[in-house]
Amino acid sequence: MESFFVRYRNHVVLLTILAAQLIGLGAQVRHSRAGRNSLDPSDSSGVRLIRYWAESMVSPPERLIHGAKVGAENLWSGYLDLRHVRQQNLELEQTVGRLRLEQAALLEDARQGQRLQALLGFQQRYIYSTVAAQVFGTSGSDQSRVFYIDKGSDNGLSRDMAVVTADGIVGKVRDVFPHNAQVLAVNDQTSGAGVLLETTRIRGILRGNASGQLEMVGVLSDERIKPGEKVVTAGGDLVFPRGLPVGVVSKVASDPDNSAYIDVMVKPAAHLDRLDEVLVITSMQPRFSDQEKKDLATSETLDGAQAAAMEEQIQEQQKAAQITAERLPGLTVPNLPPDQQPINDGSPPNPISPQPPQPLHADEFSPIPGDKVVPGVSDDGAASPAQAAARKKIAAPGNAAESAARKPNATVPPAGRPAANAQTQPAGQPAPRRNP
Amino acid sequence: MSLIGANFRRDIEIHRYPLLVYALVPLAALVVQAWLPRILGQYAYFDLPLVVTIYFALGRRSPIQGTLMGAALGLFEDALSHLAIGLNGIAKSVAGYLAASVGARIDVENHTIRVALTFLLSLLSGAIYLFVSRFLLGLEFEWNWFSELFKAVGNSVIVLFLFPMLDRLQIRD
Repeated sequence: MESFFVRYRNHVVLLTILAAQLIGLGAQVRHSRAGRNSLDPSDSSGVRLIRYWAESMVSPPERLIHGAKVGAENLWSGYLDLRHVRQQNLELEQTVGRLRLEQAALLEDARQGQRLQALLGFQQRYIYSTVAAQVFGTSGSDQSRVFYIDKGSDNGLSRDMAVVTADGIVGKVRDVFPHNAQVLAVNDQTSGAGVLLETTRIRGILRGNASGQLEMVGVLSDERIKPGEKVVTAGGDLVFPRGLPVGVVSKVASDPDNSAYIDVMVKPAAHLDRLDEVLVITSMQPRFSDQEKKDLATSETLDGAQAAAMEEQIQEQQKAAQITAERLPGLTVPNLPPDQQPINDGSPPNPISPQPPQPLHADEFSPIPGDKVVPGVSDDGAASPAQAAARKKIAAPGNAAESAARKPNATVPPAGRPAANAQTQPAGQPAPRRNP
Repeated sequence: MSLIGANFRRDIEIHRYPLLVYALVPLAALVVQAWLPRILGQYAYFDLPLVVTIYFALGRRSPIQGTLMGAALGLFEDALSHLAIGLNGIAKSVAGYLAASVGARIDVENHTIRVALTFLLSLLSGAIYLFVSRFLLGLEFEWNWFSELFKAVGNSVIVLFLFPMLDRLQIRD
């Protein structure tokens, strides 16, 4: 037995190592109900420990090399190549001032938009807090398109945070260590992000292929999709905020597995192969810095002055309308309170009056048979009871002067004497109607 | 006959290196493999840990040491990725074992043999990776054979420069 192991020790060692690794691999694979095998996205503690060891061994020299490269670049750009820096600084200061004002206005718009969306029940997510990080390494394998950044849990990073650049989305944080983090790029085969086409609003899932190109899968065949159309994040994957640029459509090809679907090839907006600095979105809750709060207050003050000027203008317009309304005859009665004005009367304009009963003994006040009664108009011509009451008040002796003043050709009699053409009918008594 | 015997003894001579070389060269291979793709982007067609595994396996001519070094470097590579730990470990264990087994039988000082062996073992390593992941584990992912071919060519080119440099580090009697 001993001679067997001695004789075949090479084979035994090889088989033992292969068997141990195969068992370890089997423990990392998860079998789904659909019959598919996939890698467990959340590493077990043992696997995570091995990753931590490897990262701890490789990252320090990697960061050293990266630091030396950055230092050499900074030495050149910061000390040796300083032409036109003063002029550029002046221009940048002017740009910063202008951008601060624009940012304040945008913050105000964002807050207003949030309030409106809260009212409408939307759950729009905004970027409010980011952490800038430098990329210093990769996995080294084209099967695994991940890269490492120099910020970790000590800087507030956690799993599944979105990683972007100014150009577009880059990936999401996968593994977090105290000082480093591993980011899964969007062009990895196991990656996935909800995206939509900007013009046609067609949704799909973004992932990478074996060559590291981005493709949008799960898209039904549609003739409207053309190369050059912009692709943005849809915001439904709970990782990337809505509306971030992803890239542009470079090619549309039919899906080899299903003819009803098409593969939309996307040219990424961010340079995924040459990443230097990235932003990790650490929070989507509103958190303003002191400077931003100050700028926001300035913006609000400016907005308040504009609102005050606009309100003053509206008041002037209302005053002019009130004067015009007072000068128009029959719309308002000065002696009535505002809620009882005829113009504010809530009754229907033409109420249907019931037919009067036929009198037993007709007199001069009885309606003539066959004479039509106009609905909504009483005997004195008023359209409503309130108008009738108002007219009665106008017709009263005390109001004769005011009534006469509204008539263009009327003359105002002296106090105590009725005007010549003023009606002197007693209040509450209808005017006599003459029979033809 | 004596001449043949002298050549044979030279061929089966086991190369020895300072202990620091055993530690630093594999580590440097891992670091450079992880760092250089940032500079080269999608044109990083090489696998330095595999090249280093083949070199030490050929020099030491010990299948056990080749297997262990291949397993260690492969596991480190896997640990730096987001994929399952063991895929590269198995592929490089087999590559190290075969390189050491072949190194005990042929003249590994010849550059042509070194380049050809590296090219074949690179392709074999890719094939083992694909076999384990797709057929043994049932994982679904796309595979690009052109990329593996370019990687094998890249490894063969690197061998032309790296192996003579590493030969200078060995302990000579």
